[in-house]
Amino acid sequence: MEMNHKKLVLLLMLIGTTFTTGCWDKTELNEMSIVSAVGIDKNKDGKLVGTFQIINPVNVAGSLQGGGGTNPPISIYRATGDNVLQLDSIASAKISRDMYFAHANLVVIGEDVAKDIGINSILDAFERSPEFRATTRLVIARGVKAKDLVETLTAIDKVSAEKVIKTIESTEKQQGGSISINLQEVIKNLVSSGKEPLISGFTVRGDTGKENKMENTQSSSIAANPNAVGIGVFKDGKLIDWLDGKQAVGTMWVLDRIVNTNVTIDWGGKKGAVTYQVLRQKTNIKPRMKNGKPKMYITVRAEGDIREVNVPLDLASPHELIDIEKELAKNLKKEMEEAIAIAQNNKSDVFGFGELIHESHPEYWKKHEKDWDDVTFPKLETEVKVETFIRRSGLRNKPFLSDIKKGDQ
Amino acid sequence: MVSFFKQKRQGKQQDRKKEEEKQSKTTDYIESSLSDNMEIVKRKTGNSPDIIFRTVKISQNPEINTTIVYVQGLIDNPSVTDFLIESMMKNPHLSEKILPQKALDIISEDVVSLGGVETVNDWEKLFLMLLSGDSIIFVDGINKALVASTKGGDRRSIQEPSTHLTVRGSREGFTESIETNIAMLRRIINTPDLWIESMKIGTVTKTDVSIMYINGIAKKEIIEEIKKRLQRINIDSILESGYIEQLIEDQVMTPFPTMNHTERPDMVAGNLLEGRIAVFVNGTPFVLLAPALFVQFFQSVEDYYNRFDIASATRFLRIIVFIISIVGPALYVAATTFHQEMIPTKLLVIVAAQRETVPLPAVIEALLMEITFEILREASLRMPKAVGGTMSIVGALVIGQAAVQAGIVSPAMVIIVSITAIASFATPSYSIAISARLVRFAFIICAGVIGFYGMILAFIVLVVHLCSLRSFGVPYMSPLAPLNPQGLGDTFFRRPMWAFKERPKLISSKGNLKREGENQRPLPPESRGMKTSDGRKGDGNES
Repeated sequence: MEMNHKKLVLLLMLIGTTFTTGCWDKTELNEMSIVSAVGIDKNKDGKLVGTFQIINPVNVAGSLQGGGGTNPPISIYRATGDNVLQLDSIASAKISRDMYFAHANLVVIGEDVAKDIGINSILDAFERSPEFRATTRLVIARGVKAKDLVETLTAIDKVSAEKVIKTIESTEKQQGGSISINLQEVIKNLVSSGKEPLISGFTVRGDTGKENKMENTQSSSIAANPNAVGIGVFKDGKLIDWLDGKQAVGTMWVLDRIVNTNVTIDWGGKKGAVTYQVLRQKTNIKPRMKNGKPKMYITVRAEGDIREVNVPLDLASPHELIDIEKELAKNLKKEMEEAIAIAQNNKSDVFGFGELIHESHPEYWKKHEKDWDDVTFPKLETEVKVETFIRRSGLRNKPFLSDIKKGDQ
Repeated sequence: MVSFFKQKRQGKQQDRKKEEEKQSKTTDYIESSLSDNMEIVKRKTGNSPDIIFRTVKISQNPEINTTIVYVQGLIDNPSVTDFLIESMMKNPHLSEKILPQKALDIISEDVVSLGGVETVNDWEKLFLMLLSGDSIIFVDGINKALVASTKGGDRRSIQEPSTHLTVRGSREGFTESIETNIAMLRRIINTPDLWIESMKIGTVTKTDVSIMYINGIAKKEIIEEIKKRLQRINIDSILESGYIEQLIEDQVMTPFPTMNHTERPDMVAGNLLEGRIAVFVNGTPFVLLAPALFVQFFQSVEDYYNRFDIASATRFLRIIVFIISIVGPALYVAATTFHQEMIPTKLLVIVAAQRETVPLPAVIEALLMEITFEILREASLRMPKAVGGTMSIVGALVIGQAAVQAGIVSPAMVIIVSITAIASFATPSYSIAISARLVRFAFIICAGVIGFYGMILAFIVLVVHLCSLRSFGVPYMSPLAPLNPQGLGDTFFRRPMWAFKERPKLISSKGNLKREGENQRPLPPESRGMKTSDGRKGDGNES
């Protein structure tokens, strides 16, 4: 009897433990509002202004109920408060349903917030929330308010958050002019003393009065369109500079984040005569101590194709090809050296040179960790070595231009 | 109090003893007077009109009355008319003067030209034989009767089975007649080691039940166990092999079948050759097979007829299909009500748009749709064939179209339920498909209450339950648990025919596991040039 009693209690305890954990947060899909993007701005009083982009599923899925097109696929709710969580609670008073953040794939931070308040005090709420994803992308609204970007209605990807993310990804992949970076990576870089984060900029160009009206997307030429513009440089969690065009691409080369970019060189006195498309590349950075000081050796190896030739040129000749390869390498080297110079000027180690030195020379790092960004990094010596290889020249060797010239003679 | 019960129990036992005595007293013997005997037969059968009495006079000075008794419809008409009645009337032996005492011997030795002839003197045995189609010959003045085997009558012919259909393989299916069924097996397995033991079960129906096994391959302990369990049965009637299955299975409280049944003689043959035991029941084309393992229900005889790669792929598919048919709707319910973060954003938006107008929670929706489907299925099974078309139109239109358009049910749910429905029919064994349907509801409820966590709990319970089952002492999940690496070759993967070295260890008799000889792997001809380009036979040196 005694034994049975004990066994029963044990059994009940075991069964009980299975119910101490679990997924109690049952929510029906039509009881929640799916947040797709969050924008953070600052008002005149220095308070935070949150903009929440909520998906109207019926208008996105559209065709089923025949409602797509006439009604906006997103709804916007705003709230003002002192911190991020307050924004959430104030906004939820305006929405009939629970805000669900697990599909909020985009956080837009206003340029003024990034410059004045900094991102350090904002990101904690996003990181701490169990609903928010660590892979949520971050962008900075450049030249416009974050709310403008979040409100914009877009054409092909109906939810603008999705459009922004895809645009950044494709820009990074095809040009190297943007950087697709998520919450987790930004926080990792903020914490590290040997690396500073880079966050892409995004803006709305065109007729900016109309971006939140349905008519914005009802013309074949979209009135107000979100564009990827440059990469924001951070120092101590605050935005200090923007990298545009070649500076941005040069930085991405050093970071080894180039996937597929075009390099254009002048040839035979003609500007932009030869275009080279990178297919494979690898950047290696090795710190070495020289006279008690570290020096960064950056080696780049790039392989690619010739994709456009606007001058008569014999691509079948290896001499010509070697000359082009050398010219390409020279161009790339210049781009990268400029990018490094800018970073040193900004006193912001966006390349993570500090982390590399920490790994290879921990003793030196311990001495210089505190003044790395301000003293050591700006004076750091670097040597860039670039090798480029032309693997193919497209479907033909000589451009048809050279044939035309012959006929003229 | 206690003593009172004791007395009562003793009283009961006494009653039983009395009954037994009564029964033994009623085993009466045949009278010598023909008219008395006829009277007894008529009284015992309630004067049923299908029992035919045909009186024939034999011998001379004096004439002796004999009566042939048989049941109309159960006998083979030509044998009775040609070999019994006609011979009795016209046989020269019987027109001479004979002594009544010798009449039976003369009839059995010289007159009746039939295979089985037997003398019987007790009524119980006589009735059993009469009612199973034999003809009885009574001779006036003799307290014995002659039984001539004249079983026959109309039976369904051998047809293609309606379950366990295959593309390749025998087209024969069992019939309702146990003799035909056993003969079909005899035709496939030509060995004297194919042993059959018969018994009659059912105090009223006295149904013929036979167990069949291959002596030397089947395990003795399992044979004994089955016999013991069959002998234990004390029931008035056995109308189908399902009666036997439910009375002899290992565990009652389980949705899973622990005995297999089939309509296919080749499937029975395959199972007998693995050491299993078949139970034939008269009156049903379904033959029971024991012991049955979980993996067996995903195997079709065709797996062995097709090449191993194709057979293995289809078996994998069946397992996936079985899992879908168990967890399909539960997965949908759990993902959409608890784990929305696990659905890709675009898919979530589409599903959310569909659920926007649906008034019910996803669990209730899933249960309703599943029940609706079960109703449709059940209705279409039982209803007259002529109305079948109406049913499918109503089902498709009302549920597929109108309910979705009205916004009562979401299209995603219709898709999920349909996939599950198809999946449940893709399992080769109907009996495991029914179990899956029951288990599915439990999973939906668990998923609706605590999401994936509930599903995992339900899954653990399911696996533990499956592992606890036994079929005639053999673990139900073997050869997976307990693991038997050799046996794994015929589970979800079927090894090539040339690598089937052994029979299943837990089922077959230990001393006789070897199934095929060494080096069974087929090889290409040694000579690369069986034929040269100009048609001559090559010598192998062409290359």
